[in-house]
This record gives sequence, C-alpha cells and structure tokens, in this order.
Amino acid sequence: MIRLKRFLQYLFLTIVSIISVFPIYWMAVSATNKSIDVIRGKLVFGTYFLENWKNLFTVSAVGKAMLNSFKYAIVLTILALFVCSLAGYGFEIFHDKGKDAVMSIILLAMMVPFAATMIPLFQMFSKAKLLNTTIGFILPTISTPFLIMLFRQSARSFPHDIIEAARIDGLSEMGIFLRMFFPTMRSTYAAAMTITFMNAWNSYLWPKVVMQDANSITMPMLVANLTEGYITDYGMLMLAVLLCTIPTVIIFFILQKSFAEGITGAVK
Amino acid sequence: MNQSKKKMKLDRRHNLVGWAFLTPAVILIVIMSFIPMVKALLLSFQTGIGNKLKWAGTLNYVRMFQDTVFMQALKNNFVYLIIQVPIMLVFALVLASMLNNKNLRFKGLFRTAIFLPCATSLVSYAIIFRSLFAVDGFINMILIKLGILETGYNFLVNPTSARIVVILALIWRWTGYNMVFYLSGLQNIEYSVYEAAKIDGASVFQSFWRITVPLLKPTILLTAIMSTNGTLQLFDESVNLTKGGPANATLTMSHYIYNTSFKYVPNFGYSAAMSYLILILVAVLAFIQLKVGDKRD
Amino acid sequence: MKKVLAFLLTTVMVVSLAACGGSKASQSTSDEGNQEATTQDATTQEAGNTLTVWCWDPAFNIYAMQEAEKVYQKDHPDFKLNVVETPWADIQTKLTTAATSGDLSSLPDILLMQDNAFQKYVLSYPEAIADITSSGIDFKQFGEAKTAYSVVDGKNYGVPFDNGAVISCLRTDVLEQAGYTVEDFTDVTWTKYIEMGKDILAKTGKPLLSAQAGECDLIMIMLQSAGASLFDENGNPTIVNNDVLLKVMDVYKELVTSGVLIEVNDWDEYIGTLNSETVAGTINGCWILGSIQSAADQSGKWGITNMPSLEGVTGATNYSNNGGSSWLVTANGKNTQLATDFLNRTFAGSVPFYETILPSSGALATYLPAGESDVYAQPQEFFGGKAIYSQITEYAGKVPSNNTGVYYYEARDAVKAALVNIVAGADATTELKNAEDTVKFQMGQ
Repeated sequence: MIRLKRFLQYLFLTIVSIISVFPIYWMAVSATNKSIDVIRGKLVFGTYFLENWKNLFTVSAVGKAMLNSFKYAIVLTILALFVCSLAGYGFEIFHDKGKDAVMSIILLAMMVPFAATMIPLFQMFSKAKLLNTTIGFILPTISTPFLIMLFRQSARSFPHDIIEAARIDGLSEMGIFLRMFFPTMRSTYAAAMTITFMNAWNSYLWPKVVMQDANSITMPMLVANLTEGYITDYGMLMLAVLLCTIPTVIIFFILQKSFAEGITGAVK
Repeated sequence: MNQSKKKMKLDRRHNLVGWAFLTPAVILIVIMSFIPMVKALLLSFQTGIGNKLKWAGTLNYVRMFQDTVFMQALKNNFVYLIIQVPIMLVFALVLASMLNNKNLRFKGLFRTAIFLPCATSLVSYAIIFRSLFAVDGFINMILIKLGILETGYNFLVNPTSARIVVILALIWRWTGYNMVFYLSGLQNIEYSVYEAAKIDGASVFQSFWRITVPLLKPTILLTAIMSTNGTLQLFDESVNLTKGGPANATLTMSHYIYNTSFKYVPNFGYSAAMSYLILILVAVLAFIQLKVGDKRD
Repeated sequence: MKKVLAFLLTTVMVVSLAACGGSKASQSTSDEGNQEATTQDATTQEAGNTLTVWCWDPAFNIYAMQEAEKVYQKDHPDFKLNVVETPWADIQTKLTTAATSGDLSSLPDILLMQDNAFQKYVLSYPEAIADITSSGIDFKQFGEAKTAYSVVDGKNYGVPFDNGAVISCLRTDVLEQAGYTVEDFTDVTWTKYIEMGKDILAKTGKPLLSAQAGECDLIMIMLQSAGASLFDENGNPTIVNNDVLLKVMDVYKELVTSGVLIEVNDWDEYIGTLNSETVAGTINGCWILGSIQSAADQSGKWGITNMPSLEGVTGATNYSNNGGSSWLVTANGKNTQLATDFLNRTFAGSVPFYETILPSSGALATYLPAGESDVYAQPQEFFGGKAIYSQITEYAGKVPSNNTGVYYYEARDAVKAALVNIVAGADATTELKNAEDTVKFQMGQ
C-alpha cells in the first residue's frame, strides 16, 4: 500500500516534470537543428549546433548582452534584497496601525499597468538625465511592493524572543537585522533572490525604453531582435533563447536547496 | 512608574527604528511609482490624440463602460481570474508539500523541472504552445490517436478552446513560481509537527489541511494577492500566444490598454482611465483578501 | 538614538543620490555608466557627421543601411552611421514615449516606419517628424502607390524603401501533376483561381493557399487590388456598405469552405506550410520570397505570377501591396539636413547602391530606376530561371494606391474580429456593421 502510494507519487511528479521540461527539451533540440527542420517540427537532436552557434555569434553581440544582463541583474538583485528585506522586517517587527496602513498604500503601487506610468516615468528620467545609465535601468525596480510584502509575511514567523534576547545582549536594531534575521531567513532570501534575479534578467520594456544605446543590449533584447525581420532563423533563435534561459535555471538549481531545505531548527 | 516610562521610551525608539527601516523602500516607491501614478491619474481626466490633450472630466471613465471591446476584455480577465488562479494556487501548494518531503529522492531535480517553465523566455514559450496546439500539432495528434477527434481541431479559432489554451499556458508557466514561495514558507514549519500528526494517525490529507494550509496562511495570502494582480494585468499571454483573438475572445485589459497607447492612434487619457479601473478592481479584491487573511494570531 | 539618526542620514543620502542628483548620479555610476556617458558626449560633439538610425532586420534593412553608409562615405569620408537594431514594436513604443514626453533628443535621426503606420504618426506627433517635401528628393522616382503611404496633406514625410508588391507563388511541380502551368494562373480572376484550386486539391491533395486564422492580410491585399480600403478620402470608415469588402469576404469564405485555403494558427505555422510542402502556393508581399527560398531543396520548383482579380468590381486589378516600409527623418533638430542629404544620395538617388544590396539580401527596391538595371534582370535559378525581380518591379508600378487611413490598425483589428465570425458562419453584413461601430467608437473621443 505504502509502496503503491509512493510509486504513484513518483509517477505524478515525473509526469509533471516531463510536461514542465518539454519546452526546454524542444529548445535544446531546435538549437541543434537547421531553421527549416525546426519549422518542419523535427524533435530529435541534429548536427547543426556549431553552425547555429557560429551564426549567432556573428550576427549578434551575445557576449556583450550576457555581460550586461549579468551586471544589471546582479546589481539590481543585491540592492532590491537589501532595501526590501529591511522594509519588510521593519513593517512586521515594529508593526503598528500606521505601518500597516502604509503597507496597504504601498501595495497600490503595483496595481496600475506599467503602460500607464511608463511615459511619466520616462519624462522624469529624461529630465534627471538618467537615460542610458545603469541607474536609470535599475532604479524603478529596486523597491517593489511584492518583495517588501514577501519579507513582511515571512518575518511573521521570526521568533520575537530572539529579538528580545539580542536586545538584552546589547545588540543594536541594525545588528539584530543583519546578524539574527538575515541568517535565519536564509530560505526567504534564497527564494527572493531567485525570483528577483529572474525578473531582472527577463525585464524588457523599461530597459528598452530607457537604454537608447546599442552597447546596452541585454539578452532578452537580443532574442527580440532575432525574431524581427522577414526571415527568422529558428535554429539560431532557439540557441539564443536557450542561452537566455540557462542562467536563471542554474541560479534556481543552486539556490533551491537553500530555500527548500532551509535551516529549520536553527530558528529555535 | 519609572519602569513604564522607560518602556514608553523604548517603544517610541522602536517605533522610530521601524520607520527608519522602511524609509528607503518607501521613498523609492513614492518617487518611482506614486509620482507617475498621480500624473497618470491627472491624465485620465483628459482626452485627445498624442500630445494634444484637453480636460474632459469623467468622460473617459464613462466611455470605457460603453466600449464593447474593453468590456469583453474585462470579462476575459475575470474568466482567467476565477478559473485559473485557484487551480494554480492549489496545485502549487500540493506540489510544494510533496516536494517538502524529506524522504523523497531527486527533490532538487523535480523542483528545478517544475520551476523551469517560468524561467523559459516568453518567445520560445509562445512558439511552443502554439505549435503544440496547432492543427497538425502534438495535442491533435494524440487526440486523433485516442479516437477522441477525427480530424485536427483548430484550438485557437474557437473562443472557448482558445481561452482554455491560455488558462493551461498560465497554469503551466506560473505554478512553479508560486511553489517557490510555498516551499520557502514551509521551512518555517517544524518538520516534527508532521511526524507528531502522523503518529496521531492523521492522513496525508488531514495534515495538509490542518497543518500546512493554516501555517502557510501568510504566504498563501501573499500569492493570492500577487496572482490576482498578475491576472488582472495579464499581458504577455494575450499578446504573444493568441494576439487577443479569435474575435477578442482572449484579449486582456492590459493588452487593450497597450493597444490604445502604442498601436492605435495614441489616446493616453483613455488608457490611463482604463488603468485606473484595474487599480480599483485589484485594490478592492486585495483589500478583501487582506481583511480575511491578514490577521496576526 | 544616534545610530538611528546616522542610519536615517545614510538612507536619505542614498535615496537622494539615486533620485534627484541627475548629474551626480551619472558620475557615480559604474565605469560602464561613465563610458556610456562619454560615448554620448562624443556623439554630440560629432553631431555634424554622424547619423543614428533605428531599424530591425540585419539581413535586410540594416544591411541596406550599412551599404548606404559606404556609398555616402565615398564623398563624405568623415561620415558615420550608428545603426541601432530595434524591433518594429519597440520603435513604436520608443517613438511614442519620446514624442509624448516631449524629449525628442532621445530619438534617432532616421527610423524605419511601416507604411501602414505612417499616417497615424504624422497625425499624432507632427512635431516629431520632419517634412521633407522640399528637401530635394525626387519622389516621382518611386511607385505612386508606394509614395502615397508617407504623404499627408500633400506633404512628403518618408523616403520609400522596400517593396511589398503582391505576388502569387506557385509550386510548378504540383501544378504539373494536375496538368497546369504558371501561365494558367496569370491574369486570372478569383473564380478561375478557386476552380483550378479545387481541381488541384482533388488531384494532388494539396491546397493552394494557407493563411493565419484571424489575420486579415489576404483581405487587405484583395481590397487594395481594387483600389479600395476601409476608409474614404475624408477618413471616415467604409466598412459597412462597402461592396468590395463584401465581395472580398465572399471570396475568402469560399476559399476556406472549398478547402483551397487552409487556416493555421500563427506565422511560423504559415511558413511551415510552405516549407514542408503542405500547400502548393501562397499569395503575399514579395518579401515572402526569402522564407520560400530558405527551403533550399525546393529550388527550381517555384514560379511566380500576379494575383487573381476580383470579379464584378470596378477598378479591379491583378496587383496589390502588402507591407513594406519607408525611412522617416525625425525632427529632433540635430541633423535633419544631413539625414535628408544622405537619403537623397543613397536610397533616393543611387542605382549602383540598389544593385549592390539586391543579390545578397533580396531587398527589392521601390526606386523605379533601379528596376531597369541589369542586376534585376538576372535569371533566378530557384524560380525556374525566370527574371523575377524585374517582373516584381513591374508589378509594383501597377499597384492601385488606396487610403491607408489614420485609424488603420483600429479598423484592421475590427475587421479581423468580424472575419473570424464570418468564417464561423455569422452574417457578413451584421458583423461588418459591428466592426464599423467599433471603429467609429474608437475614433470618437
């Protein structure tokens, strides 16, 4: 009985995983095939990988785009995690009516479609001469209601006795945040890091509007460029898409242990 | 007396520290979101083409309710919200609690596999989904082999089946994303609680509903609000998967707003007004969710 | 308390640095930021001889621009072109954003504009687009129908570039199996075309055409072939009571019901039907040739001719247009003069330039003098040794011009929705009435 149950569980997870992985498999297969075979629906690995690779690197600045994407995503992730976790912690640990109200108001900030606020934002950035700068790229998404709320919700399970004990030991409030909260909440940080990195890595519309220069191309922009034009080289496109997907997947794979097998027990 | 005075002083100090902690984030949000939002609000009371705007009172707000295309989009968004969000969240919760099992093998691989869809770039995701549901695509092939269909069915031409495809695509893409938060939330639950429940004879289902769900409530609230917001602002799938078709059956509000700003003759006053309707809808729903779910024990 | 204050101070500093201090901020960005800033300065200094261009296809219009740069550099050695690859959707977003915020300085000097969007932008942002009527460019050297896209109130706003003349592509081998030749499909009507299509379908099992379901490229192609459009000269929608449109809907429905045309879900699938030999032909703008030729194993098996004409419709022809784009000079005030001079000496004045770009990119010009060039008369092996380029250039000259209309995309989307319902069996007149109501609603404010 238990065996059957276990078998069913593995079967279920395997099916779900296969469905989830299929597109990546398709991408990988397509990256090794000629464009014409991709269009014709070929589903087995081909021998055109090197050719696609060569074409991609001739046609587009993959190296530069990778470098830019990493730069923006890393800087943004670090800043966002610090600013938002600090706020989330503040909202929860020192909560009172006023702060709860502010939290609700902050949530409003994510409820308007970006299409409506993009132009006023662009106006501000062009007046501040921030077009074409790294700061212009990352500034709007450092502080997001979503991350703040994520940290606020998880700070709810952070035991208050630890804080009291630390205060008696004479640790400053910042010290408590950095030395107690930060290590204890490793699983939340890992989850937040994965998601923030992914969002930063994939962000497209704002970067495209604020960065005018060909030198500031990112991976999603590179992929978008490849789909434009009268003829699309699908083999090459899928290779680019694969390259654009891999970093997020690797980051997830590395971090998943930290956020899924956190350090329960260390809390108490 | 002295004691309580000291406590009051301490409370005030803590209160100040709290405000200090949230200041950077709040200032950034005010500048980066609220200022543009106020400008958009002012814009929503104006009308005109491009830069030639004039004040129009509540005209735009009245207008959107007479706009058959926008009303259709509003309906579509709610269909997605009501059907897709609950299925996805329950599914993510089930997967997360399965993958939280300490004795499960290949956990890392399963987790990564299920997370993969949301890391996949939109371009390939759209191409793959369309080709899967193509007339001579994989899904039709299977249905024909199983004897359910006789000839290939064009899923994206019929309004109902096109919506189902969009919903499936959304579940496929975002389940793993929500699972991440549940998995990380589950780490705050002592594993021994489950073992104790097991000894007490609780079934898997019972411990899921009585332990996992209540303890994950803060995280569930978070994902519910985020998914509500995400669904009412849904854009990518409508644009890339179905182009809003057939006959606007899958068009979303955000897609239409984008069209009125960047594809059609630009009418920013009107798009701003429609954006504010989304704000009001999400805010009301989020407020209800917070009222129901955001209680500190 | 001190610590709190200190913390608050740092916070305020960080934020103010980020938010207000524009110049300060760009100085304190990473090295890359500095680099970017200096390149920008450099551009401003060199403003006299550098042009920035936005366009999107490396194999096609970007390549053409780079060749044009070389041509212009012969007389102007200091000249430099900075081509920024920008997909069409992004050109629209960036142009709209910049023009609406009133910051024209972030615009390039030249950008590539889809012909169908030209009227819309000139009407919405006249201040952002340069009037180049009296720039010395001779617009008479381009096809009249083509130039018409970028003319508003008698003023020229664009230099025509690529050709969207419609061709009917056919698989000669499939035709042969059923006992037909390409000549049988030349100068025919739709009735004749469908009749032969049914015969070919019966004999070979292959439909003649494929189209994206819910898209209305073919509808617009048929409309223009009779000089009709969705708007009248005053810009009012003419979707209802438009006999040509009704006729077109009839023809389309018959194509679908007879099985001569199969509907597919998207563009990639459409290309797939051509490359995997699902269909025996297609009707589209001549730029489709590139996609057809990517199936190298089908060399020699394709032929082209003109499209079928509508019957019983005044002004019906066998020629039409789909897609194509023109160069637009922005009015950002930096280099307007240089930009028009550059275009005048290349895209609007150099036959050798077009002779260079044609063979390696298939970039067919709308510049009429180029059509007479020997390069255009070269036989093309892929298409059975015919000189298809001069053939297409000839077609381009015969395309009836029509009125795109400012609200082109609104009307197109409404007709798309109507088309889906009509094909599914709804009454055409009612659906077109709904479509017109939608467009009228969107036009009103």
